Amino acid sequence: MANILIVEDDKDLNAAYKIILENEGHTAESAFNGKEALSKLGTFEPQLILLDLLMPIMGGLEFLQHYELMTKHPDVKVLIFTNMENSPEVNEAYKLGAHRCIIKSWTAPQHLARVINDALESKVASRNPTE
Amino acid sequence: MARKQQPALPQAAITPDEEQAQAEALFNSIGDGAIAADEFGKITRINPTALHILGFTEAEMLGQWFPSTIIAVTENGSIVNIIDRPITKAFLTGKPVSEKVYYLKKNGQRIPVASTVSPIIHNNRPIGAIDVFRDITLEYEIDRMKSEFISLASHQLRTPLSSIKTYSHMLSDGYMGEVTHAQREALRTIINATNRMNELISTLLNITRIESGTIAVSSKMISVDKLVQDVVKDLEVQAGDKNIDITIKLPSTPVRVKTDSLIAKEILSNLIANSLKYTPEGGSIQVRVQRKKNSIVVVVKDNGVGIPKYSQDQIFTKFFRAPNVLKYETTGTGLGLYLVKGLTEQIGGRIWFESEEGKGSTFFLSLPTPKRAPQNKAISGQ
Repeated sequence: MANILIVEDDKDLNAAYKIILENEGHTAESAFNGKEALSKLGTFEPQLILLDLLMPIMGGLEFLQHYELMTKHPDVKVLIFTNMENSPEVNEAYKLGAHRCIIKSWTAPQHLARVINDALESKVASRNPTE
Repeated sequence: MARKQQPALPQAAITPDEEQAQAEALFNSIGDGAIAADEFGKITRINPTALHILGFTEAEMLGQWFPSTIIAVTENGSIVNIIDRPITKAFLTGKPVSEKVYYLKKNGQRIPVASTVSPIIHNNRPIGAIDVFRDITLEYEIDRMKSEFISLASHQLRTPLSSIKTYSHMLSDGYMGEVTHAQREALRTIINATNRMNELISTLLNITRIESGTIAVSSKMISVDKLVQDVVKDLEVQAGDKNIDITIKLPSTPVRVKTDSLIAKEILSNLIANSLKYTPEGGSIQVRVQRKKNSIVVVVKDNGVGIPKYSQDQIFTKFFRAPNVLKYETTGTGLGLYLVKGLTEQIGGRIWFESEEGKGSTFFLSLPTPKRAPQNKAISGQ
C-alpha cells in the first residue's frame, strides 16, 4: 500500500478520491493547489501524486516545474487528473515527467484504483516517460 | 413595329497612355493588397492597400526583388523557402496558386495573409505575376477565440460531470453503504447519461481543434501492444454490459511506433467503442495488430450490424449516420468516424474499412513507421 498525495482544487472530488484510495488501503493526503502540495511534501512522502492541472494559486504545470523530486525522488509517479484532453498543457505535463494522464470526467472509482495500482507497479521512471 | 437600329458609335481610339492609366486605376482600386512583379521577380507595381498592410512606401518596394522584399514566414516563424513560395509555384506551373501564409511587415511584425498569386501569361510564357493578398488577422483571432471558448466551455462542463460520475459510481459501488437493486439501476442511468455527455464534449472539442488546426500533435515512440491493451481495458465495463467478448491478437514480438499516444488512443477508443455500440449482445470484437513493410496496422473487426453498401462512401462524412443504425441506436451524433478520420490524418495515418450489412465491419488503422526502422534496437528497448 502506498502514500498518495491528492492535489485537486475541487473539494468534492478531492474528498471522493481520498475515500476511494483509503478504501483501497492507501494512505491519502489532500492538497488543494500546487503551493499547498509543495508544503505538504515537507512532511508527507508520497509514492504517487494525483495532480490536477487547472488550479488556483499554483496549477499543476507550475507545481511540476517547482517539483524537484526528479532528482530527489525519481521513483515518485505523477498521474495527471484533468479534464483538458489532448491539450498542449497535457503534452507539457508529459514533458515535465508525468507518468500518465487521465480524464477526470471519464474515470470511475474502480478505474482510478486500477490506474493507480498499475502506476505503482510500473517500472517506468516517472520523470522520463517513454511511452 | 420594328425598332430602328441606332448607328454604332464611333469607337474612340485608346492611346497606350490611356490604357496604362485605366490599368493603374483598376489595380489601385482593388480592395485587397496587390503587388505585380515582372518575369525576373522585380516589383513593378504595388497598390495603396498593399503598402498599408506591409508598412512600406512605394519607393521602398518598386524595383526590388519580390521574394526578398515580401518575406513569407511559417506559423513557427521560419522563412518559407523560395521554391515553396506561391509566386515561384505560379511561375513554374503557369497557374494561380492560393495559400495562407504569414508576411513580415516593414517593422518585422508578422501578419497572416490569404494570398493568391496569378501568373501573367503572354505568348504562352509567364512574363510576370500578380499577388493579391488579404490581411486575415481578424479571422485568425476569431478562430483562436472560438477554440479557446470551446476548450474552456468543455472544461467547465466536465467539472460538474466529474463529480456526478464519481459520486454516482461511489454510491453504486457501495462506498456509502448498501443500495437496493432499483437504486443501483437508477444510478446506472445517471452514469450512462454522464458517459454520453462526456462523449459529446470530447467529440466537440476534438472536431473544433481539427477544424481550426490547433490540435497539438506530440509524437514519441509508443508501444502499440500496450495502447491496444489499455484501450480494451478502458472499455471492458461497456463490453461486459453487452456480454461482448473482445479478443486481442498481437504479433509475437513487441510492436512500437512513433506517434502521438493520446491521439492514437482516441482513434482506437472511438473505433472499438463504435464496434461495441453497433454489435448486438453476445457478439464479438477482435483487435489485431499487424506489422507491415512501412506501417503498423491495427484491425478492429466486429460481427455487428455492418454498413450498407450504398452508405459506405459517406461513412466518414460529418453528421452522417447509416439508415440501418438509426433503427438500431438513436443516440449517436454521426461525428465519431468523421473525428476518427480527422485525427488519423493529423498523425499521418490512414483509415479504411470493409463491411457487409448484417455481418459486421472491419476497420483498419495504419500508422506509418520510419522507412529505415532500427527494429532490433526498438525491440531490445522494450
